[in-house]
Amino acid sequence: MSANSDIAVAKFLEHTDAEAASFFEACVHCGECAEACQFYLSTGDPKYTPTYKLRPMERAYKRDKAPFSSLKKMLGLAPSPVTEEELREWEPLVYDSCNMCARCTLVCPMGIDIAGTIRKMREGYAAAGIVPEGLQRAAEFVKKTSSPMGITIKALTAQIKHQEEATGIKIEVDKQGADYMAIFSSMEIMGYPEVLGAYAKLFKKAGLTWTISSVAYEATNTGVQIGSGPLAKEIVTRVVDAAEALEVKHVISPECGHAYGAIRWAGPNMMGRQFKFEVVHIIELLDQLRREGRIPAGGKDTRRMTLHDPCQIIRRGGLLKEPRRLLDESCSDFVEMKGAGITNYCCGGGGGVSANPRAEELKTAAFSRKVEQLNGVKDLEAVVVPCGNCRAVFEDGLDAYDMDLEVIGLSELVAETLDESPEKQG
Amino acid sequence: MSFVEFVEGPLFILASAIFVLGALWRVIGIIRIGRKKDISPPKGSAVMGFVVGNLRHFFPRGIFARRTALHIIAGYGFHLALLVLVLFAAPHIAFIQDRLINVNLPEMPRWGFIVAAEIAFAGLIMLWVRRISDPVMRLISDWDDHIGTWLTFLVMLSGCFALQESQSFLRGLHMLLVDVWLIYFPFSRLMHAFTFFLSRGNTGATYGRKGMNL
Amino acid sequence: MMMRQILALVLFASLLNVGVAHAQTTAPNSEANAKAAQALENIMARQRGEVVLPSGSDVPAPEGGPLFGPDPGPPNTLGAQSQSDYWRAYRGGDPADVVAAIESGQAMTTTGQQWRLLRENYIRKYAGWFPVGVIGILLVFHLVIGKMTISAGRSGKTLPRFTLTQRVAHWFMACVFILLAFTGLIILLGRLAIAPYLGKEVNSILTSASLQGHNLFGPLFIIALVWMFIKFVRGNFFQLVDFKWIFKLGGLFGGHVSSSQFNFGEKSWFWMVVLIGTVISITGIALEFPWLVADLRLLQLSTILHGVGAVALISVAIGHIYVGTIGMEGSIDSMLKGEVDENWAKEHHDLWYEEVTGKPASEDAS
Ligand code: HEM
Ligand code: SF4
Ligand code: SF4
Repeated sequence: MSANSDIAVAKFLEHTDAEAASFFEACVHCGECAEACQFYLSTGDPKYTPTYKLRPMERAYKRDKAPFSSLKKMLGLAPSPVTEEELREWEPLVYDSCNMCARCTLVCPMGIDIAGTIRKMREGYAAAGIVPEGLQRAAEFVKKTSSPMGITIKALTAQIKHQEEATGIKIEVDKQGADYMAIFSSMEIMGYPEVLGAYAKLFKKAGLTWTISSVAYEATNTGVQIGSGPLAKEIVTRVVDAAEALEVKHVISPECGHAYGAIRWAGPNMMGRQFKFEVVHIIELLDQLRREGRIPAGGKDTRRMTLHDPCQIIRRGGLLKEPRRLLDESCSDFVEMKGAGITNYCCGGGGGVSANPRAEELKTAAFSRKVEQLNGVKDLEAVVVPCGNCRAVFEDGLDAYDMDLEVIGLSELVAETLDESPEKQG
Repeated sequence: MSFVEFVEGPLFILASAIFVLGALWRVIGIIRIGRKKDISPPKGSAVMGFVVGNLRHFFPRGIFARRTALHIIAGYGFHLALLVLVLFAAPHIAFIQDRLINVNLPEMPRWGFIVAAEIAFAGLIMLWVRRISDPVMRLISDWDDHIGTWLTFLVMLSGCFALQESQSFLRGLHMLLVDVWLIYFPFSRLMHAFTFFLSRGNTGATYGRKGMNL
Repeated sequence: MMMRQILALVLFASLLNVGVAHAQTTAPNSEANAKAAQALENIMARQRGEVVLPSGSDVPAPEGGPLFGPDPGPPNTLGAQSQSDYWRAYRGGDPADVVAAIESGQAMTTTGQQWRLLRENYIRKYAGWFPVGVIGILLVFHLVIGKMTISAGRSGKTLPRFTLTQRVAHWFMACVFILLAFTGLIILLGRLAIAPYLGKEVNSILTSASLQGHNLFGPLFIIALVWMFIKFVRGNFFQLVDFKWIFKLGGLFGGHVSSSQFNFGEKSWFWMVVLIGTVISITGIALEFPWLVADLRLLQLSTILHGVGAVALISVAIGHIYVGTIGMEGSIDSMLKGEVDENWAKEHHDLWYEEVTGKPASEDAS
């Protein structure tokens, strides 16, 4: 035992609520979950079995919190205390090899939510300071600049300007009383700024007012990825304060699913109150606008396309049909990949894995599953990836596997195939 | 008091009491840990999710079923056959009516009993040999898994040894193992028979509330 | 037809009872004692040449002439006429047609007697010594020559050898086989190896338990056998290299032996399991469901084949288990993890190694 392990164990116990406890109690060590986890599937290494990743936290619970734990301790039957060594040994399992995709929950006969429990477990690790260097650095960036990639408002302003020029539409910053306030993931601002232009085009067509805050434009919640409650709260608070100051009615979460979960579900609980605005996911919003006839589809993209299902949006976000409805009207040759939908594989870089350079090799290995799926679709030309983070992982992955495939965002595709004839407007 | 009378009488009552109270204590203990109230605006029903989660996980998903077919067949075979054996085998019905409650359970013909026993044994053996011959299973298994399996196996085996019903010692041995099994149960992973509804339900409730896909 | 089957069943049941010693509780009973004393007295009286008519017996005293044959012979101990010819005719029946034999007054068949002699004097007497002998030989081998180690040491790199399904099929078979082996040996040898030492009571309990267990696990063996055959038959066909292997005695005593995925020893073991296993299965079905077999001689033959085959398989299985565990370093990996060390593969299955990896197994091989 060391000070570090004490801190971690205390946090483990604090975060073991009745839900996590029921998971630790119910796991029958059946090993099914391994068959769902792409880290195990792509490496064949048994240590990547999902339930195994939870071991230290499970041990802490069984030693100190579970029913009969004191009786078992008295009889010398309780598990031994969790040591710092053990925590460090597990650190790569907890951070590098779980993208919180929750695929394992689907196959688990006990319905155990490994992903959610990994999230809780990371609280212990973050509190004890046992975290991967890459994530630590991202966290420091967040504290300084509010963005894990260190994107300053100056950089954002420059991107906005480019997009205004490209689309010829003005994007208003800090507009008081707008209907919607959009936030973005760093990856989008840096790598795919066209999404700003797409928003501008779509919202103009739909006739709704929107804005970007100059103090809270970052949606990526590094606090959630690293597992630090306080940091996560800080990031969410920044957005909530800005949105409430601008008196917007809605905050639009970007495609990135972690960001959505952080503000939509975890947010109010972290802040201990409900917000004065509603959080909507961009895909939800676009689908709603489309069905209201406010952003009618025009000419379709004729390339042969498939859809990647970002875990946090589809499996864990409940948006299964929405992206498909949008796609059906945007492209003429849409094919599902094998295993699409709820059971789809993660890109391999979720849950902070892609923000963690140490996990690079593992991430690429995990992507092999995606490669298999993509190769399974004949004559594929493009893949729609409705998540900024997934998109970056896809581009790295396709590169690593020498594949030539276009990766496109859903909002951009919808914007590109928008019916722009003015007469239909109204 | 003979050996058989002892294991079917006082020891059985003690074991049953430990089983019932221990299992209750454990389940209530888990629930009492409590969950923080979720104040984010819900998108669906947590209660419905609890129920749906419980039901959904009874059915394996096609995409995984193929990979894990052997496991599913063995698992379902064992559990269902054991349930049938425990409740509908003639000697068990006689025992239940004699010692527990006077219910009228339909009695299986002897061949049905034997077939159920074959399936239960085949299933349990397959589950256990899978546990010892696969690196994943070897890594995640602990003593409790093996003890639970073996105790259950021995209960079944002694039951089948007593099938001739000509040796009271064999009947007593079977009952003794049943008693040991009952006492071991609440402290072990055999409790999964009761805790599964909590874990499935909790995940289901979380998912249901968020309008997530199950 | 029906009648015949029932009869066969009854006969079979009485045969089985040979193996099951019923513990008789001898409660003192004065009435019984008195009867026994009376009987003894009558016998002694007849031996003194007095005529004592049987009492309370439904065997009638011969009246007038003999029942069978011209010469009634001397009276038996119960006072009735001895009926040797009756019995001689009775036992001359045709075992293939018990019903007809009974109708013509010839229900007893002598093959049963021969079967009993064979079973008692040979199988029961010697069966146990085969497994014991194998264990002895292995012990000597292990002490003298010792464990076969991987001479190049473990490489740390592994090759996949068996799939999970293959492993589960194998261990399923192993578990069922071991359960059957123990219960079977108790049924066969209990009277000889248990009763004299632990007492008849214990033997009776063990035999009753074993018989039930054996009957229940039997069908699982058939499933295991079919499954195992399907999962392992590929790679188990004999090849030319196998004959070289025989010449070098499998390298047990040194020297390099080539083999592909399975060597001659393993292949032989596989085919023994399959062939003898099939015989045991078929005869087992006959014994468990005797009404399926009309000819008594087939049932008698079944018990012989079943026992001999089982003892042979058990003996070889002991050798197999030895080589699989403590006898040869690295072997068990293939059945526990599905993977084997590369150096193990190079040494024991060089041709397979070359086939799987595409690399030569030894430097001098080009
Ligand atoms: C319980 C102890 C046993 C152990 C430790 C054991 C171990 C092994 C091992 C390590 C192998 C693989 C050898 C290789 O890699 O080539 C094997 C194969 C095999 N075992 Fe066993 N075994 C046991 C019991 C049995 C029993 C009881 C049976 C059958 C009645 C059996 C039948 C077989 C067969 C048929 C093969 C395949 C051989 C071939 O296909 O050539 N084993 N066993
Ligand atoms: S959530 Fe996904 S990555 Fe994490 S353990 Fe489960 S299957 Fe593996
Ligand atoms: S599938 Fe579920 S019950 Fe089985 S080992 Fe994994 S977490 Fe445990």
